[in-house]
Amino acid sequence: MTPLTLTDLSFAYQTKPIISHLSYHLPSGQLSLLVGPTGCGKSTLLKLMAGLLIPTAGKMNHPGMVSMMFQQAGEQFTMATTRDELIFALENLQVPASDYPKRVAKAVAFTQIEPLLDQPINTLSGGQKQRIALSILIAMDVDMLLLDEPFASVDPEGRTFLIKKLGQLRDQGKTILISDHVLSGYETVCDHLFRFSANALKEVDAASLSALFRANQGLGQWSFTLTPTSSVFELQEMTLTTGKQLLQPTQLALYQGAITLITGPNGSGKTTLFKALTKMLPYGGSLKYQQHELTKLRSKTYLTQVAQIFQASTDQFLRVTVADELALSSSMRNAYFTPERLNRVIHNLHFDDKLDQSVYTLSGGQQKQLQLLLMLMTQHQVLLIDEPLTGLDSQAVKQMVTLMQDVHAALGQTMLIISHQIAPLAPICQYHLHFANQQLNYQEH
Amino acid sequence: MNPSLKFILILILSLAISIKMSLTANYTLIGLALCYLVTKRIPSKRLLVLLLSPLPAALTVFLTLNFFTDQPNTYVALNLSSRIYVYVALIACLSLTTTASTFARSLEQNLHLPSKFAYGVLAALNLLPQMRDNILRIRAAGMMRGLYLSFWSPVLYFKAILLALNSAENLAWAMQTHGFQEGAPRSTIIAVPLRRKDWIEFASLLIPALGLIVLFK
Repeated sequence: MTPLTLTDLSFAYQTKPIISHLSYHLPSGQLSLLVGPTGCGKSTLLKLMAGLLIPTAGKMNHPGMVSMMFQQAGEQFTMATTRDELIFALENLQVPASDYPKRVAKAVAFTQIEPLLDQPINTLSGGQKQRIALSILIAMDVDMLLLDEPFASVDPEGRTFLIKKLGQLRDQGKTILISDHVLSGYETVCDHLFRFSANALKEVDAASLSALFRANQGLGQWSFTLTPTSSVFELQEMTLTTGKQLLQPTQLALYQGAITLITGPNGSGKTTLFKALTKMLPYGGSLKYQQHELTKLRSKTYLTQVAQIFQASTDQFLRVTVADELALSSSMRNAYFTPERLNRVIHNLHFDDKLDQSVYTLSGGQQKQLQLLLMLMTQHQVLLIDEPLTGLDSQAVKQMVTLMQDVHAALGQTMLIISHQIAPLAPICQYHLHFANQQLNYQEH
Repeated sequence: MNPSLKFILILILSLAISIKMSLTANYTLIGLALCYLVTKRIPSKRLLVLLLSPLPAALTVFLTLNFFTDQPNTYVALNLSSRIYVYVALIACLSLTTTASTFARSLEQNLHLPSKFAYGVLAALNLLPQMRDNILRIRAAGMMRGLYLSFWSPVLYFKAILLALNSAENLAWAMQTHGFQEGAPRSTIIAVPLRRKDWIEFASLLIPALGLIVLFK
């Protein structure tokens, strides 16, 4: 198979150039990683390669069938169930009905999605959706797989599983290009690593690559406290059910003024717990916020004290431009964000030249940074933060973790953080709650 | 019956009863539709919802025409209010017995509608539950930032439309990455048959029903 080749390729959104005069060969039959700072144009590049965007200039030759997996796990399906989506994709490729059972059986066995086949896709977790997205590309038997931060919301086990499967696909001769900020797990399968910055793709040589992977290891030692303090939320015999039971009757306190990390496998109910805590979903048993039962509190006043930072950044935005969003949050900002400090943060996060830009045209990582900043500026006593680090490069991760830490040190809010990325968050979290098998438990490590 | 034929039958009958008033036909059609739904084992709870939901509209129409007009007319009042029930019952015969994906496949295979239309609509339908969630989430997001958005606030819907536009672009890309190309031929894995039996059923329901509408008051 001929490699994918870009020759002098350029692309601009309206008049803003994103990629100019880029030339590149993607090695075929290999697994390559694509890394680069937040907002450098990785997603745009992948969409160009997949033929979803049309380059404004330059040439690209395609080595066969190319398909793509997206950052937003939920918005890549046309049909309601996995089986229907598989049928839809195979019909598009004009696969005859006689070949259908064989193709589906192979894809289902490879990704182990048998139990999910007839479930409505919108009831599945982010990790499960990505597993399904992969199974569809396998059933389609595409030659080249482009994956745009596919594991952002996938738990560590799911991630290890999917990376192993991608390695096997590479061994079968598929060409794979993955954009990711987290390098752990790729040590054994990665053939090439390309760094995308300043409008050029540079391959990292083998020696530097193994050094990079080595630097990533040994980050697995954390410890958390188990000593209780005064509580802000009290769960008494609380249960959670969405179609199936997610939480068995539970007795637990969430501690005031502390940062608590919440981990657990995909689909265990972490986000559902946040939904219950923000009164967006009913619960069983009792759930008290500062001694008041949640059902008795009015959303309008309660949500001025307890806020959620949603998994999808765009859900948080209420205005159109970056400046308008900042202005809305500025009108009721907390004591930490003095005008000087706010300006400095805006500058450090490189938003000062994007103030007039629509929030919807920012890259996934930039949206996440803006969303976190907007919500850290508010006067809430409790922040429920769902996946704050998705789409962020290591530099941006450091910046945002430091910002959360500084705001917390100054104001002492209660923060609950859901994340699969334990390493960068562990140093600022006092407690660790693990959600698995319908149980919530504090852990020491 | 084949979903597309069922759809056409419902369309013709609905048009016919809106052109020619026939109380006998209205009652017969409602009765037949309910019998059909019962034989299809639709849960009684859903049937009850079906019967109760058009009630306010039907009642308003009846009371207005029977009591609050210059020339009250019980026949017209009964006719127009029962007509609402005919529409609801007929549409239920399609929507409660056919899944959206089967209907889309039938439109594509039997009526040869462009696949872009059939699957575009289907993808949008599958986004609907997400849209409802979105509206609730936008309201919560507003309250969390000191902005109370009532259910008639334009900001709420402006934001919902922005999100929908965003989703529409992602959805178009999603269809493309799963091999969909506008106007390209597609194979048929799940066939929706259109048999002689379907045509016979169609004709044997349509002709008597039209006769009833035309001949009876």
